[in-house]
Amino acid sequence: MNIIKKYLSKKRWVAIVFATFFLGVILTFVSPVFLKFNNLQSVLVQASVTGIVAVGMTFIILTGGIDISLGAILFFTSALFAKIIVGTGSYIFAFVAAIGSACLLGLLNGFLVNKFKMSPLITTLATYTMYRGMAIHLTSAQNVPVPREFGFIGNGKIAGIPVPIILLFIVFGIGIYLLTKTRFGLYVRAIGNSSQSAIESNLPVKKVTLMVYLIGGFTSAIAALILLARVGGLQSGIGIGVEFTVIAAVVLGGTKLSGGAGTVVGSVIGAIFLVLIDNGLNLMNASPYIYDIVRGAVLLTAVIIDRVSIVRQTKHLLEQKAMRIESSKNI
Amino acid sequence: MQETTNKPLLSVKNLKKTFGLKTVVNNVSFDVYPGEIITLVGENGAGKSTLKNMLCGLLEPTEGQIFIEGQEVKNINGYEHGISAVHQELSLFGTLTVAENICITQLPGKPGNVNWVEVDNIAQKQLDFLGIDIDTKSLVEDLGTGKQQIVEIAKALLHADKLLILDEPTTSLTAPEREKLFIIMERLKERGVAIIFISHFMDEIYKMGDKYIVLRDGHQVGSGFLKDVPRNDLEEMMVGRTIGESQIDLKPPQEVDAIRVENLSSYDFHDVSFTVKKGEILGIAGLVGAGRTELVEAIFGIRKSKGNIFINDKLVSPVTISKMLENNVSLVTEDRKTNGIFGIRSVRENISAATIESFVNRKIKGFGFRNEEEKTMEVVKDMNVAIPHIQSKIKSLSGGNQQKAIIGRWLSTKPQICILDEPTKGVDIGAKFDIHTMIGELAKQGVAVIVVSSDLPELLQISHRIKVMRTGHMVGEFKREEFNSAKIISMAASSAYEKKE
Repeated sequence: MNIIKKYLSKKRWVAIVFATFFLGVILTFVSPVFLKFNNLQSVLVQASVTGIVAVGMTFIILTGGIDISLGAILFFTSALFAKIIVGTGSYIFAFVAAIGSACLLGLLNGFLVNKFKMSPLITTLATYTMYRGMAIHLTSAQNVPVPREFGFIGNGKIAGIPVPIILLFIVFGIGIYLLTKTRFGLYVRAIGNSSQSAIESNLPVKKVTLMVYLIGGFTSAIAALILLARVGGLQSGIGIGVEFTVIAAVVLGGTKLSGGAGTVVGSVIGAIFLVLIDNGLNLMNASPYIYDIVRGAVLLTAVIIDRVSIVRQTKHLLEQKAMRIESSKNI
Repeated sequence: MQETTNKPLLSVKNLKKTFGLKTVVNNVSFDVYPGEIITLVGENGAGKSTLKNMLCGLLEPTEGQIFIEGQEVKNINGYEHGISAVHQELSLFGTLTVAENICITQLPGKPGNVNWVEVDNIAQKQLDFLGIDIDTKSLVEDLGTGKQQIVEIAKALLHADKLLILDEPTTSLTAPEREKLFIIMERLKERGVAIIFISHFMDEIYKMGDKYIVLRDGHQVGSGFLKDVPRNDLEEMMVGRTIGESQIDLKPPQEVDAIRVENLSSYDFHDVSFTVKKGEILGIAGLVGAGRTELVEAIFGIRKSKGNIFINDKLVSPVTISKMLENNVSLVTEDRKTNGIFGIRSVRENISAATIESFVNRKIKGFGFRNEEEKTMEVVKDMNVAIPHIQSKIKSLSGGNQQKAIIGRWLSTKPQICILDEPTKGVDIGAKFDIHTMIGELAKQGVAVIVVSSDLPELLQISHRIKVMRTGHMVGEFKREEFNSAKIISMAASSAYEKKE
């Protein structure tokens, strides 16, 4: 039992894998439709938007930051893309502008957090409002339909696999590579672990901080394109609440909210887990009003688990210290 | 010991560092030769850490020059110049592996594709060199303090091929771990690495060091070869002999126990017992980290503890802050900025904060502030606080005046037992004198006073009795007639000292 506990505290993402599997088993019993290929595929497609942004958010949270403006960046990018594509018809221009501006907005978040040493929560709460406002201003709060062929990104298939799933796996792969194989990935984990130590070790803390917020913006842009294509046009509701679902996915995936420890794998599975809950409620014909209650409860559980493990760790350290003092008497 | 025919590795000339108006390091000059262990000694706050930070490039000197191998270096960058420091607070990353920690500043392979196999190899090589068996793949947070320290040294040595600075490396180590560290230091010395060894422990200093530098209040008060200086002289140099300037006259205490602490234990200290009589001033001496602040905070109910506390022979455990206030106990906390003052509020509010009811004439309970200003002004006069105006924000005052105001706040509660934690830390001489006088006054009125201080001359002046704490234990007691600064210091610091029963 202790070994399992220890293993779980080290490989925190394993817990979400078990939880997802367990939920899957329950849903199989609840509804015969669940295990159907089409249903599973649609679960992945639905998880793609959350999953992709969750990859970016993982990097941000790993450094000890947070970005709640990602949903607003997503909305702004969708708006910009829709406007440009309707206005000019140039896909290249639209793609470059959308992705480029998302990166810039992310960079601005990072810059503000760096420069003024403000709490990332408050900073991005402000930019969240600002970015959403910019998007509404851009479109005069009107719906903008996008051309039919663009729907391919949301609903099309390549070699029988839906495009959103392909994009999810590409972003997922890049995320894993960045975090585990590169110097940048190590710095990200190090900074979240102790920014003081990072400064003393001469690590480029500011550069890395800029970079993670930029990645956050980038992933939001990719998610924006998928969402825009799936919806078929810009609507004012796009991106609302995305950041919270994403944070929920990351935390469920075992990434510490305080930073320093976490994985991309966990976050993506966390995203799938959340979709499974929606899917399950849907299959059970639950009232739509209940969804948010369940989602909120799940996030709360995840945060409590996160907190409890920290409290336990601190207590353990203190007890070790007390034992050392007790034994030091006889030296 | 290598004799000094070769050129010095590091020369420091007239180094000075000021923060604002305060000079922390003043006119320090010394040379370090390869393969030497220099011990840097001095009391808490003597400027050792500041000096260390200047040498490894974390702080820029205000004045003076630093030469490395004969070349003057302006903007010193520890890593580039082969200098590395192991700070008291380790700069490790708990959730990363040992190997990642060691190599983080110098990863092999391309930035975009780190060679993790090589990372492990380098780490293994470093640890092998130090002769320590640690799994390079385990997480640093899973290691004990001793092993973490060694990982930190291994990390530092990746850059420091010339000079390694160890800042009180042994304080959190067990005896066997300490021996291991000494072996490592010997090994580095043989390789020609110079070591600056900061320590409080005389045994270690004499065991490991070749030369010494003593700092007191930022000044270099002595340096030379350790073999030429007896231990007592070195201790006296550290403490200085400045006793006598504000001698307060002490009355013998009453023969009534005001507070009795029995077998108090917590995470930070173990099995502490003592009593303080009415009108007695008890000093608690010890090094930083000995658990003194934690002890007084536990007595006041800020921290949880096990054990019994009696006030006027009445059991009050388990203690809470409100019970302590009911029993007229007050605590002036150590960290004035975070635990003492309400920085952006006025002096008036800061003084009346603990017992607002005694400052105001109220017709309806809880309403009105009539007379508050006049009465707080009286406290200001009594305490000799220099203020521009009673409504000035307290943070605009000097440290000494802030402290006097805070002490005034607690004295307004008419304490029967008054605990002061580092009451004169960071205050000027004048304020210090005022505070000492005030403490003496309190005792004369029959108040039991407990003073925690790292300033030993201060305790020697004002206490009836001094208790010494070391790593969470009360290790000794001195009555006024037995006061001896060298003995107290060696008891607080000595790792080999046996408790007298």
